[in-house]
Amino acid sequence: MSDKTPKYGLFLGCNMPALRPDVEKAIRVALPGVGIELVDIEGAACCPAFGTFYSVDEDAALAVNAWNLSLAEKAGVDIVVQCGSCYSTLRIGRHKILNGRKDGVNKLLSNAGISYQGKANVRHVIDVYYNEAGPQKISESIKYCLDGMRAVVQNPCHVLRPSKIVGFDDPENPIALKGITKALGADIPGYEREKQCCGGAGGFSKRDVKANLEFVKKKFDSMKAEVDPDVIVVSCITCLMHLDSIQDKMRKKGMIDYSIPVFDYSQLLAICLGHDPDKVARISVTPRDEVIKRILENKR
Amino acid sequence: MIKLNEERDKDLIKELIEFGGHDLLKCYQCGTCIADCPTGIAESPLSVKKLIHICKLGLRERLIEDTTPWMCVTCGGCEERCPRGAEPFEIVLAIRRWQCKEDETYIPLVLGEIYERGHTQNLAGVSELRKSLDLPEVPPTVISKPEMLEKFRKVLRNTRIVKEYGYIFGIDEEGEE
Repeated sequence: MSDKTPKYGLFLGCNMPALRPDVEKAIRVALPGVGIELVDIEGAACCPAFGTFYSVDEDAALAVNAWNLSLAEKAGVDIVVQCGSCYSTLRIGRHKILNGRKDGVNKLLSNAGISYQGKANVRHVIDVYYNEAGPQKISESIKYCLDGMRAVVQNPCHVLRPSKIVGFDDPENPIALKGITKALGADIPGYEREKQCCGGAGGFSKRDVKANLEFVKKKFDSMKAEVDPDVIVVSCITCLMHLDSIQDKMRKKGMIDYSIPVFDYSQLLAICLGHDPDKVARISVTPRDEVIKRILENKR
Repeated sequence: MIKLNEERDKDLIKELIEFGGHDLLKCYQCGTCIADCPTGIAESPLSVKKLIHICKLGLRERLIEDTTPWMCVTCGGCEERCPRGAEPFEIVLAIRRWQCKEDETYIPLVLGEIYERGHTQNLAGVSELRKSLDLPEVPPTVISKPEMLEKFRKVLRNTRIVKEYGYIFGIDEEGEE
């Protein structure tokens, strides 16, 4: 790493800026708070998600990937992104573009007078926190902490697999999200269903609601019985929204009788850095006030 | 009862390979792809193994009617663990593309929204909330930049999907918006 401040283009995607803009706010203050400079990728569009152009016309999907990558390239930065699905389609798309599809996408991009040369890359926000800022820098920067609190982490599937294209961590035993969460002071005991997917992405949660509830309940019951966590830490908009909102549905159906607050990692970091929780962690279905109160009582 | 001599379409495999299922023939039906699939608990789970078998048998109608590819959570578990490197997730996407070609009601209408505003969500519809969080009221993406949005649409207008299914994108047969 050079002495220069690392600089990335923040890729917003679609769900975060529209449905959970408090997470966007958290990222915009938390990354600079640990020494990472952010710029906007002016004119970025949908990544595009697997359920959209990827499911209909791969050339069109790669052209949209390349649209986004070319804008970052023109700005001279790599992309940093929180949404697992955005990360994965941009990484997989870039991999395909660099392996035989560059001329095709550039022919399509030429209609807009732009091109993608393959320089700009894509990093997930966990990767940047862990490998660029580092747990030590995070630990040294915070004013409040999670000392004495138990956390479980939910790694986004899309940052782990397929590891040969998207991977920066061990796909079977990922350490990065745990490492940066430990840096906030939390204890992170393991549990049996730790590696289970949140179940929120793609068609499953909409096409078979009953089975999806059963699926996620298995995960919640396992973490509740084995860890009884104070907080679930995620770093993907889909994991966040699904694990947060599905608990409410389960409680109303009598499937669970407990409640576990869910935070995006950047929200916890932003609070620990001293930012106003009402700006960086305002929106949730499952109440989070108790956790926030405990953090703010926990001065470093 | 299916009579393979009458109903088997030998070209089906080739079509799926063309749509991106390049390594379909590597599959030896071991079932690793379904062993760990989140949809395994569903009433109609996604079994890539079974879908590949349908492709190999050349059963077009069966494949058109099977909606399980759209259950996929895109978790990449099958892609990572397939011992043959058959790329099951790529096969799922290839089958979706093939289904969209055979039956255009499969085409997700959200494509029209991406064409219209650059995003699946209306990022311009939450300005009050965003303002209250000290964020740009409308994010600096293509949704707030008309000139760039027009360029973005120009790229898409030259893709096969927009050329063939203009009605999804608000484009008439003469190519006018």
